[in-house]
Amino acid sequence: MERENNTYTGGRRYRNDDITVYWKPDACVHASYCYRELIEVFDPGRRPWVDMNGSTTDRIIEVVNMCPTEALTWKWNDEEKNKDISPDQTNHVIFRRPELLIEKEKVLEKNPVSIKIMMDGPIVIKGDFTFKYSGNNKEMKDGIISICRCGASNHMPFCDGTHRKIGFEDK
Amino acid sequence: MATDANNKSFTIVEVIDGGPLKITGNLILKDPKKEISDSPAEVSLCRCGRSCNKPYCDESHKR
Repeated sequence: MERENNTYTGGRRYRNDDITVYWKPDACVHASYCYRELIEVFDPGRRPWVDMNGSTTDRIIEVVNMCPTEALTWKWNDEEKNKDISPDQTNHVIFRRPELLIEKEKVLEKNPVSIKIMMDGPIVIKGDFTFKYSGNNKEMKDGIISICRCGASNHMPFCDGTHRKIGFEDK
Repeated sequence: MATDANNKSFTIVEVIDGGPLKITGNLILKDPKKEISDSPAEVSLCRCGRSCNKPYCDESHKR
């Protein structure tokens, strides 16, 4: 595995022979799909936290595509192959497992807001909604917020990943 | 139909100080661990971590 500073995304990148995974920490909302699905590759307790030798390229792509933000994205190392990527092979377009699907069709049809309870983690809210917090009203357009559910975040009301440190368990 | 205008801010997500997250309007609630998939018009979700009925608030934050 090779890690290097990445001027392209402003984050970091991790490569294997086939693909490069880009990591933008500022975009992470701690939805935690990555490490729940593939701790062998994405281990927040390890440095560096991404180990591209931990699984197959196909599996890494599958899990990166589950990321609900652009915190994790990927590209083929062979630029020619990137020209042939179809929409369903990139992030944000499909989640391949039905139980992870965020009701894309319904959002397009009726515009409901998606409220997803992450396992032992935050509430991830996506869509168009009014966000009321401390007397403020903020109009969210295709927005995404992640709200602490463990009670221990240092960045209330938002999730900052502390649930993992304190071992929050949703019983 | 001016549905777009009517739909604006139709869903309200409100952080109650010292209390739950209250969501009203057009929403889909999903909790894979609790096998919940629902579209309630209103829901209060626990933010303190102490509810005995997660993900819902059960007023445990007051105790």
